[in-house]
Amino acid sequence: MSSRLGRLLLIALALVFLAMFLVLPLIIVFVEALSKGFGAYLAAVSDPLALAAVQLTLLVAAITVPLNMIFGIAAAWAIAKFDFRGKSALITLIDLPFAVSPVIAGLIFILVFGGNGWFGGWLQAHGVHVVFAVPGIVLATIFVTFPFVARELIPVMQAQGKDDEETALSLGADGWQTFWRVTLPNIRWGLLYGVLLCNARAMGEFGAVSVVSGHVRGLTNTMPLHVEILYNEYNVAAAFSVASLLALLALLTLAAKSLLESRAPELRRRAHQSRDLARRERV
Amino acid sequence: MSISLRQVSKRFGSYAGIADLDLEVPTGALLAVLGPSGCGKTTLLRIIAGLETPDSGQVLLDGRDATHWPVRDRKVGFVFQHYALFRHMSVFENVAFGLKVKPRRERLAAAAIAAKVGSLLELVQLGWARERYPAQLSGGQRQRVALARALAVDPQLLLLDEPFGALDTQVRHELRRWLRRLHDELHFTSIFVTHDQQEAIEVADAIVVLNKGHIEQSGIPGDVYDLPRSAFVHRFLGQVNEVPVARRDGRAYIGPLDISANAEAAGDGEIALIRPHEIEISREAGGWSATILAVRVIGPIVRLELRAEGRPANEPLEVEISRERYAAEHFGHGETVSLRLRRWQLYPAESNA
Repeated sequence: MSSRLGRLLLIALALVFLAMFLVLPLIIVFVEALSKGFGAYLAAVSDPLALAAVQLTLLVAAITVPLNMIFGIAAAWAIAKFDFRGKSALITLIDLPFAVSPVIAGLIFILVFGGNGWFGGWLQAHGVHVVFAVPGIVLATIFVTFPFVARELIPVMQAQGKDDEETALSLGADGWQTFWRVTLPNIRWGLLYGVLLCNARAMGEFGAVSVVSGHVRGLTNTMPLHVEILYNEYNVAAAFSVASLLALLALLTLAAKSLLESRAPELRRRAHQSRDLARRERV
Repeated sequence: MSISLRQVSKRFGSYAGIADLDLEVPTGALLAVLGPSGCGKTTLLRIIAGLETPDSGQVLLDGRDATHWPVRDRKVGFVFQHYALFRHMSVFENVAFGLKVKPRRERLAAAAIAAKVGSLLELVQLGWARERYPAQLSGGQRQRVALARALAVDPQLLLLDEPFGALDTQVRHELRRWLRRLHDELHFTSIFVTHDQQEAIEVADAIVVLNKGHIEQSGIPGDVYDLPRSAFVHRFLGQVNEVPVARRDGRAYIGPLDISANAEAAGDGEIALIRPHEIEISREAGGWSATILAVRVIGPIVRLELRAEGRPANEPLEVEISRERYAAEHFGHGETVSLRLRRWQLYPAESNA
């Protein structure tokens, strides 16, 4: 009896915690966004500066995500399918962006590409602007989101081993055919999952981007930066309106993620079931 | 396709995969490579397939140096221990894979591919399963899909890595016979790797026994079984009793039995290996007296465990007799009987490898 009470208490505690820290803020975002009515919400969201921020965020994600998808696949491929010296160092390096504060990540790019940085002078002399411009934002975002795809794929690829690829080669396939027809289909769910998380982070990144962006409205302002500017100008309703777009993105990501999770394990479980069933049959 | 390996070596770090190995496999042979785990047999197979490159030595296919040929140019079918079927493809797509990845000018038309895959699936008796996925098949069925897939590209050489290792006894037996028939019908060269000596003896034309990366012995299965050249091969190819040999006054003894008349074969031999069926058991006194500890009826044979006089209790001798003999004589548990040796082989005692 008392253990049952304890269990209920624990569940209630967890629910209250969840409500306070996750559900409540989410509700507040939408309540605040709509506090001045739906018209004001639409006006805030369709403001040219807000639209420019949305556009920039989409552009950054459109560049970052495919690149990190390629990097992630290449890194996971190398780590999972080959043995080489310095492999564990590479794994640690891939995790570096998780370990480093995003602000530091931003500062690194200032130090390297900024006006007084290593390559800054040379780049400026040749008319290339990295820091306080779109290229810097893209670089900082690539850095911060680098581990997502690779981290997701390494265990998947390691579990699958090399047999499938070696079989394909022995059947006469070349490297590309093996990749497109055998490797990619085997990792598609993990890849999609990693890309989803990478995208969410790319669109939502604040710290690193804030350092390199320079906050030029309409030019180098991404959505999260735009939210901050509006908020600092006491334009709370507009700030929350733009924030609500990011929140919607987060919800969509979550929905897609749980859909994937429910789909992939189901596939796996179904495979297990039929395997067990088949094992009992005769050849 | 004939295969020659010349002085092939492959190391993995400090561990010698195979060392200075020479091997000749004539066209059309069905060779079994037999050995305990870690003896290098899978490495050997992978080197022939081109999945590993030897550190030194040469691989010749049909007399041509193929040491550095890529896998896809070798015309080799490789079947993995765990089948490695493409799980996102149906049985049909799996078998068709090798035909579909061919360069356009060599590729068959879709209809021809379908016909070929169909006939291969008939050959492996899986015509009904073409739309199934690997996860929906049993182990034996998957193994046959893997075989059909490997055969689709008309390999000159079929390499099988522990092909029946993961299957239960009955399925194994059926698949072995089926593989043998297939080999005889299609006339390619086959090499399969196994740690199961019975499988090797049952299926292969020739066997190679591998130990620690080198060949201990090769030959026709029956010869290798009857005339093992080392204690390792003798032990590996079946059950053995091991009895130390005592030499006194110029005579040699196994237990109390005088074997001097037949002990010069291995003059410095210190240990005798005797197979369970090479020991004669009777009630006639004068042999090596022993007490029956256990009787086990195993199908057509009966296996007796005996404690022979002068032997430690935890090292009983195993003797096998036919079911008929047992029915006639009816040796009982606890009975004291007399043993004589029909055949034995002596080896230096240090050859414990």
